[in-house]
Amino acid sequence: MTDAIEEKPEVAGRSPAFWGAMMGISYACLGGLAATGAIEGVALLMLMMVPTALMIPAIKSANRRVDSGGNACFAKGEAQKRYLKRVAISTSIYMVSMGALVFVAKTPDVAFFWVVLSALAPGLAILGVFWAIGRLIVEEQDEFLRMLIIRQSLIATAIALSAATIWGFLESADVVIHLDAYWWAVLWFVGLAIGAVSNRVEYGAWGAV
Amino acid sequence: MNNRLKVLRAERDWSQQDLADQLDVSRQSVNAIEKGRYDPSLPLAFKIADVFGLAIEDIFQREGAEQ
Repeated sequence: MTDAIEEKPEVAGRSPAFWGAMMGISYACLGGLAATGAIEGVALLMLMMVPTALMIPAIKSANRRVDSGGNACFAKGEAQKRYLKRVAISTSIYMVSMGALVFVAKTPDVAFFWVVLSALAPGLAILGVFWAIGRLIVEEQDEFLRMLIIRQSLIATAIALSAATIWGFLESADVVIHLDAYWWAVLWFVGLAIGAVSNRVEYGAWGAV
Repeated sequence: MNNRLKVLRAERDWSQQDLADQLDVSRQSVNAIEKGRYDPSLPLAFKIADVFGLAIEDIFQREGAEQ
């Protein structure tokens, strides 16, 4: 009889956590560079594609784990497979739309309609990721995993909303620099990672987002 | 809530994965329930009782109750 959760199948390649950490580090570096004014405008938009591109190996790695029966991070399940597929589609749309946004930003005399459309598209693609997480909560049949996902999302929401509120007031008082609002979405994803660590400490499993 | 999941599983020589498969849940779920980190819902508790062929109260006891 096996006593614990350690009976993991062998899965080749880096773990999703590794790629997630790489994404976090990339976003942190970009955030630092943007906050200090070292990069801005089109250059920042172009560099924002780098951490997002890291979603591709992360999703591939997660898929390998789902297919192999899962380990402490990803459980075997159809809901998780659908979630990963939806995130992959949203990420692909995000990458393409960021390319379009950079193109429009560098092109002179673009009609206002195209400026609005190109600026809306990346945001809508990120909404696709939020929607995918919502669907995962609805479709996940394992009540324990569902609880972990909800817990992760609540922790992420608490962190992002708290930071946004504090920063907003500090910004109004001219204590800190202006930050574009999409950074709160980035922070929300960082919050998901913190939520996963909290799940691991409290319940012995990371969660499934 | 205390439970006898680990003992009952040992008596049947089932791994956590074996039990998880029968319950149609993840191995993590079985592990968390077994260690008392997570209390299952009533429907899942009934399912666990069905798998072992016992009543719920033969598997789960309230905190501090004699085993």
